[in-house]
Amino acid sequence: MSLQQANYFELFSLPISFQLENTQLEVAYKKLQSEFHPDRVVNADDRTRVQALQQTSMINDAYVTLKSPLKRAAYLLKLAGVDAEEHNQLHLDEAFLIQQMEMRETLASLIGDEDLEGLDAMKDSIDKEKTTRLANFEAQFTASQFVKAKSIYNQLQFIYKLLDEIDKAEEKLLDY
Amino acid sequence: MALLSISEPGQGKSQAHAADNKVVKKSAIGIDLGTTNSLVAIASEGRAHALCDHDGQCLVPSVVHYAEDGKVTVGYEAWLKGAKDSSNTISSVKRLMGRGKEDIHYDLPYEIVSADNGGMPVIKTAAGSKSPVEVSAEILKTLVRRGEEELGGELEGAVITVPAYFDESQRQATKDAAQLAGIKVLRLLGEPTAAAIAYGLDRKQEETVMIYDLGGGTFDVSLMRLEQGVFKVLATGGDAALGGDDLDRTIIQWVLNEAGITDELSYAQLNSLASIARHAKHELTHSEQTQVTFEQWSGTLTREQFNTLIDVLVEQTIKACRRVLRDAKITVDEISDVVMVGGSTRTPRVRERVSEFFGAEVHTEIDPDKVVAVGAALQADVLAGNKYGDDILLLDVIPLSLGIETMGGLMEKIIPRNTTIPVARAQQFTTYKDGQTAMSLHVLQGERELVSDCRSLAMFELKGIPPMVAGAAVVEVTFQVDADGLMEVQAKELSTGTVSSVVIKPSYGLEDKDIEKMIMDSYSSAASDKEARALQESRVEAERIIEALVSALVVDGQSLLSEAEYARLEEGILQLQKTIESGDSDAIHEASEALNEATLEFAGRRMNTQIKTALAGHSIEEID
Repeated sequence: MSLQQANYFELFSLPISFQLENTQLEVAYKKLQSEFHPDRVVNADDRTRVQALQQTSMINDAYVTLKSPLKRAAYLLKLAGVDAEEHNQLHLDEAFLIQQMEMRETLASLIGDEDLEGLDAMKDSIDKEKTTRLANFEAQFTASQFVKAKSIYNQLQFIYKLLDEIDKAEEKLLDY
Repeated sequence: MALLSISEPGQGKSQAHAADNKVVKKSAIGIDLGTTNSLVAIASEGRAHALCDHDGQCLVPSVVHYAEDGKVTVGYEAWLKGAKDSSNTISSVKRLMGRGKEDIHYDLPYEIVSADNGGMPVIKTAAGSKSPVEVSAEILKTLVRRGEEELGGELEGAVITVPAYFDESQRQATKDAAQLAGIKVLRLLGEPTAAAIAYGLDRKQEETVMIYDLGGGTFDVSLMRLEQGVFKVLATGGDAALGGDDLDRTIIQWVLNEAGITDELSYAQLNSLASIARHAKHELTHSEQTQVTFEQWSGTLTREQFNTLIDVLVEQTIKACRRVLRDAKITVDEISDVVMVGGSTRTPRVRERVSEFFGAEVHTEIDPDKVVAVGAALQADVLAGNKYGDDILLLDVIPLSLGIETMGGLMEKIIPRNTTIPVARAQQFTTYKDGQTAMSLHVLQGERELVSDCRSLAMFELKGIPPMVAGAAVVEVTFQVDADGLMEVQAKELSTGTVSSVVIKPSYGLEDKDIEKMIMDSYSSAASDKEARALQESRVEAERIIEALVSALVVDGQSLLSEAEYARLEEGILQLQKTIESGDSDAIHEASEALNEATLEFAGRRMNTQIKTALAGHSIEEID
């Protein structure tokens, strides 16, 4: 199996699953890095060095992809032949759409009121939503319910983005 | 060379070969290319030391002087010339590396002109216009020479340090300077990373460390996270106009006040006062008080008084540390180690305040002037392939995000800051007009959303897109960042299978052909350099011929040569040895050739005997 052909899970000798053994990923990542890093071939010919550069770039990308639950989810969908980024109106969950709008409004008014405590509380509750959905995604994906899994993934995309916005708003209020 | 090509079956290798094949330690150096001073160090077996000149001076002032006749002086000598000829003496060139003229908002003692292509500024000197890359290359050459002298002969390469906050253009400029100086860069290494390596902090599992670097004219503070060999710079800060010189200035001001001097001082007086102040500062690092004498006036400065004088400045550095901690959302108790870098951290008050503020272990065991070069040398030794102990791999991250301009003057990040490098990311774009055949791409670096707040790295146009309806053509832009943090961008049109790709280098960097031209220029202007190198090479060649011939004579001389032939070759060796002493590279080269020529017959005979010996033990069938 060459490095280029392997999928990211195989690359790190991990089972193809949403459940991920973090330490195993870290150990495998370090091992691959120390084997393929351009620093190991500084004195080799151009071809070898370019190859090392491409291989490590790929290893780094694989690591980042598997490490983040959101990216890992998208990658798993891709492996299952589902384009996670394709947005199909039919599959949008209407209830979640309404919930999205409400959350956005809440965030806007908390920012307007410079309500730090409110922002903290909101972050906590959205964090819980995130945890639930990650578990749901895993269940659906494991059961090969890819359409449902994808819909949960799209909700997670929104949740991650919102969490990021809350962080930024807090930073701004704290004047970092 | 005829004799060296001979091997001796049955007897193992000839002496000459044995010498060539012994495990040779690969030589590599670590270079701290500083704003005020530069330094070179070498390492072996996990230990490193800085290289000093005959007078025991290790620091090379980062100063280059250009004389009208084209003579280039570097270091302390150049610094001395600066007093009389400031417009031809380039100091602090590091501040200009990879910058445009518009980035320079301060006065310089030398004249700067903008380059035609909007690239780096060029400095006017008596010896012609010099780019910052060329000036830095001169400093590098001096350091490389010092390394070569110490290690004897060619170097495998060098690790050169750069500030953690150096962006892509500044790193590229540094690498260009190395290329121009003829030294291979094994790795560009962050200065704080190098300092951490010097203390072996890279071997710890998980750490958050602060690198406090108070140099001659700059103050840098970097907060780093070390996680199993991955070095992440969490935040950097500091003050580009605060350093040891400012500490000296407080003493100068104190003398002027105490002595009641109000008249304008001459340049010579100021100079002497500056060195008096520097001396007093050094005295106060180990004494409680010191006598200060300036012309007729004399007074006593106690350490306590000095502490009061500099407290405002020291507090400024602490404030910068606080800001960096806040940027990274790290509290002071999370810091496990503080590494002190830069000569000014010898000042007791600085150490006191830093250790009070952090309450962590403050490392000062390694000379703060040398610690960065020492770390670089350690890393250079590992990269050159000399292994010792467990093999640690250093992974760096990019300090600033890379992206591309999108509609509405916004920057779209393609590789966010702190991504581990090397990294490659691709992003797809489409055309927005029917029949559009070209697309222009603007590559940016920075964290802000507006293009105008980011640094422009390059602009290029992708032509030859087949005309299609809007949105049908797909252009894939790939960013590739290597282990040194240097970038290449490629753009490909994918939709029709016609692939056009462009590889660009950032605009502040130099084109390869520019560098080539500069290398040629430097050869012609520095004829003496070239001559020295040629002489060294011809000597090595001559010595090799002699060595090979002597060992061949020992083995086969008696049996294969007549007495007269033997004597002639001996005479030839003596002649060549004499010529080596002469110092004339052409003569040495000629004499080497002549001796080599004279050995051809001997070499031929040896070859024949060896083939016979080799065949002797075998049957004809085997050979067939």
